[in-house]
Amino acid sequence: MEKDNLMIDYKHRQAGHCESGATSNLFNFHGVELSEPMAFGIGNGLYFSYLPFLKLQFAPMMSFRNLPNTVFHRSMKYLDVDATVIKNFKDPKESMTALDRNLEKGIPTGMQVGVFNLTFFPPEYRMHYNMHNLVAYGREGNDYWVSDTVMELPQKISSEDLQRVRYAKGVFAPKGKMYWINTIRKDLDIKSAVEKGIKKTVYEMIKVPFPLIGVKGIHWLAKDLKKWPKKHGNETAAFYLGQIIRMSEDFGTGGAGFRYIYGAFLKEAGEKYNNPDLLTASNMMGNAANRWREFTYMGARNCKNRSKPEEDYGKLSDMLHEIADMEKEVYGKLDKIKI
Amino acid sequence: MEEESNPVYKNQAHGQYRELLYSQYADGKFEKKVGYHSESDRVTLQQAWDLFNDRIEEARQKVKAGKASPILYYMEKTLVTPMDLSMHAGIMVWRVKHHLKPRVFKRLGEKTLQKYAVAFNITIDQLKNVD
Repeated sequence: MEKDNLMIDYKHRQAGHCESGATSNLFNFHGVELSEPMAFGIGNGLYFSYLPFLKLQFAPMMSFRNLPNTVFHRSMKYLDVDATVIKNFKDPKESMTALDRNLEKGIPTGMQVGVFNLTFFPPEYRMHYNMHNLVAYGREGNDYWVSDTVMELPQKISSEDLQRVRYAKGVFAPKGKMYWINTIRKDLDIKSAVEKGIKKTVYEMIKVPFPLIGVKGIHWLAKDLKKWPKKHGNETAAFYLGQIIRMSEDFGTGGAGFRYIYGAFLKEAGEKYNNPDLLTASNMMGNAANRWREFTYMGARNCKNRSKPEEDYGKLSDMLHEIADMEKEVYGKLDKIKI
Repeated sequence: MEEESNPVYKNQAHGQYRELLYSQYADGKFEKKVGYHSESDRVTLQQAWDLFNDRIEEARQKVKAGKASPILYYMEKTLVTPMDLSMHAGIMVWRVKHHLKPRVFKRLGEKTLQKYAVAFNITIDQLKNVD
């Protein structure tokens, strides 16, 4: 069956993080100006978890971001926007038909995809990572135009390839998940959404009663980091250290494990509502982010000379403890804030 | 941070894409900037791919020597563990591990081979012959 070409007038803007970028672009399409940091902050993008019993690409798993689809889901909930999320389709063909139907109606549609078989993605990042997000906004013959916010320009992907990445298997399999915004009310209450978003993030970072999540997780990681060289040998310790750096600095983090984006969010909110406390918190967050970046630079030196570490692992571990304390101070401050 | 050129990755498939990074300046202002990988990014990515390539090469030698089945090679090539592969192909973990022996692999039926071929995104002929 020959399908006709169609193109929705959707503006692609590059962003630091895939999902908050997609959310912010979708808002802009519906005529509400919402920057990427704002979407990230309201949707609780910030997170930390360290799961040493799970292995991701042969090294312990840690995450600096929330579960997939949290940013979209929570920002819709807090802003009270009418949006639809379809969690899974059993039949891949049906999911593609649903996408076509949406495009014909003129709705740009977000999708969760796996990265490994994504044809236009930088080859060095093609690992098994199923938490990536795209927005489809046009069709040309058998190809789809998609906006991947970590890339500079919109990309083209064939129908078969798109179906394959939408049904990537493994941990957090996307199963063809789709989401889109139906309508947005005119009187959006961004202020209360910001407050709710901050509260939830503070809860997740310092109040969850589980030792591997949030600030406690960073402390746990720091303790483990010290033991790695003795336990696994220098090579493996360097590889594990590399995993921390990869997760915090790679594509789609905006640098320093999303801490810069969150700082930018606090700054923007503080300026918008004239709140000096938020501005101070933003500065503190920025300092913590700068410290993260120093940590990654120092750690990278260890990764370069794997068998003979240049920096002491004890020193790096102390640095992580210090970062955790810095972050804890920020969340403690945010906990008491009233906007 | 790298500005315009990216000398390390010149003429390579890697590192040709620019990403958006945030940073903070001394006056507390946050700024977006588009650039290539930073130094630490490059080092750690190189480290990971060195390890992966070593594992792939090792698997290839093993398969050539007849000590392992081609499934091991393609498993390393697609960067998965037997656990992941069992999820991708829909075959139980212990069976996947069993199929890594060349003796067992030779006896596999068309149906099972097809499952592996789909999981690796290749044809059955490619699965049987490692170049």
